[in-house]
Amino acid sequence: MNWDDLLLMRHELQLLAVILIVTCAEIYLSGRDKSRIIPLSLALFGIHMAAGWLWPVEGELFGGMYRTNGLIHLMKSILDVGVFIVILQAGGWARKQLAPENRVSEFFLLIWSSLLGMYYMVSAGDLLMVFLGLELSTLPVAALAAYEVLKMRSAEAGIKFILTAGLASAVTLMGISLLYGSTGTFVLADLGKQMQGNSLEALGFIFFFAGVAFKISLVPFHFWTPDVYEGAPVSVAAYLSVISKGAAVFILMILLMGFAPLLTDLWVNVLYLLAILTMTIGNLFALRQRNLKRLLAYSAVAQAGFIMLGFMSSQQDGKASIIYFMLVYLFSNLAAFGVVQTIEMHTGKEDIGDYEGLYRTNPRLSLVMLLALFSLAGIPPLAGFFGKFFLFMTVASAGYYLLLTIAVINTVISLYYYLLIVRAMFLRKSDNPLPLVTSDGWMRAGLVICVAGIVALGVASGVYDAIYALCAHL
Amino acid sequence: MGTEAIIVFFIAAVVLVGGGMIASKLLAPTSTNPQKLEPYECGIPTQGPTHVQFKVGYYLFAILFLLFDVEMIFLVPWAVVMKNIGLTGLISAIIFILILGLGLLYAWKKKALIWE
Repeated sequence: MNWDDLLLMRHELQLLAVILIVTCAEIYLSGRDKSRIIPLSLALFGIHMAAGWLWPVEGELFGGMYRTNGLIHLMKSILDVGVFIVILQAGGWARKQLAPENRVSEFFLLIWSSLLGMYYMVSAGDLLMVFLGLELSTLPVAALAAYEVLKMRSAEAGIKFILTAGLASAVTLMGISLLYGSTGTFVLADLGKQMQGNSLEALGFIFFFAGVAFKISLVPFHFWTPDVYEGAPVSVAAYLSVISKGAAVFILMILLMGFAPLLTDLWVNVLYLLAILTMTIGNLFALRQRNLKRLLAYSAVAQAGFIMLGFMSSQQDGKASIIYFMLVYLFSNLAAFGVVQTIEMHTGKEDIGDYEGLYRTNPRLSLVMLLALFSLAGIPPLAGFFGKFFLFMTVASAGYYLLLTIAVINTVISLYYYLLIVRAMFLRKSDNPLPLVTSDGWMRAGLVICVAGIVALGVASGVYDAIYALCAHL
Repeated sequence: MGTEAIIVFFIAAVVLVGGGMIASKLLAPTSTNPQKLEPYECGIPTQGPTHVQFKVGYYLFAILFLLFDVEMIFLVPWAVVMKNIGLTGLISAIIFILILGLGLLYAWKKKALIWE
């Protein structure tokens, strides 16, 4: 092993260094004011994120257990941006609520540990490595979901998450063992060669897929989503809806499009059905929600269905449209969650009814929310439109016109409940609207980044082309 | 290897396990007496309800113990091949131990080692 090999694992090592430095700071500051850890954490992670974008490298380590290339590098960098926005938005909350209880640094450490697991999962060249990464990325999130220790709902969210996640992991492992039993290898590159397309492999694949689908919250596996999102702290819900889902989508993409060519017929059909179910059920349930966190949870389920559209083509356009959509979805969803978090932290309100007349008292927050919701719905000048457009193009070019029709109908349904929030904020008058909320500087910075992302990605056409070029070799 | 093999596998699994249990139920001689319901030799009969809550501190100690238990599992094979892997191996092991030590230090500073 020499230094060039270490450079391949740059993302992981950098993040590990950040984790260790913050742990040392926590130990050093024990018994003193911990709120100083917040700017330190943000600065360190900011440096990590910026450095992460540089010099993509390609290669393998540890006999193929770990591999990386330009596309995997891009995936990790996208996850970095998401985590950076999440912790930026959580800064004020951490100072106000966590610092007095002496639980600041653990929040960051748990999020980063989970992110480290995702790095290893995305970079895995081996099914066991995938499983290890999946576990490392799931366990800290259960602790995070129960992070508001004094709230019953938060504890409930934690328990629900860890029980369902435990079951999902068991099912995944069962799938891996069946795949191993039928092919005799864990190595992803050999897996594709050893496969004969028999039914034992299909069974193993379906079990494995169920575990990953749990993390993406596709429909038969989505029941935990609204309860956990509602109970968990808002930044954790944001993390679950974007980062955790994104990593699972990426690993599914790498596995399906890269390594399981013989099972293509099987998974295209499975995903075809799941995409329809996920979009439709997610949207229909979202229609009736009054609590904004639950509404965003069901909207996240529906968006997962849209992401599945990109899997209909295993060509370059499918991959590129998924990654581009994830990037767009990241900015839009985090902006929406950021506004909900601001309002919730200062007033404790999170129902649609409470948002009535918000524009009169909080015009800027309302405008951010408007942009985020329009982008999620896919209204033209914003990034969300192009994200959906490329996904629909993928489906159309693969020739699945029925699926395309259902997806377009679902877009219209989703527009209804997104506009419901917009109507409450802008058109309704309320006798006692929410007071003027002044968000803290970190939250404001996070929202500005999100809005910049939503607007810029809609205008800059070069981004999609760059991603498309990277997708040539997976 | 096809669908038939899997079906046969499942049926065989069910028949073997279920059949064994049913057969032992039917064939084994049974005799019941009150002493059979008491705890086995080791220890005295319990007093009061046995489903009691106990301090979460036990878990904390158990986890800290587990940390070093696992560390030992990794260090024993390392010690066996240490001469062959040279300086790189030594440095890797030191980093590994330092990270675990940091964890212990963290638990220490968080007063996890004080039994209240």
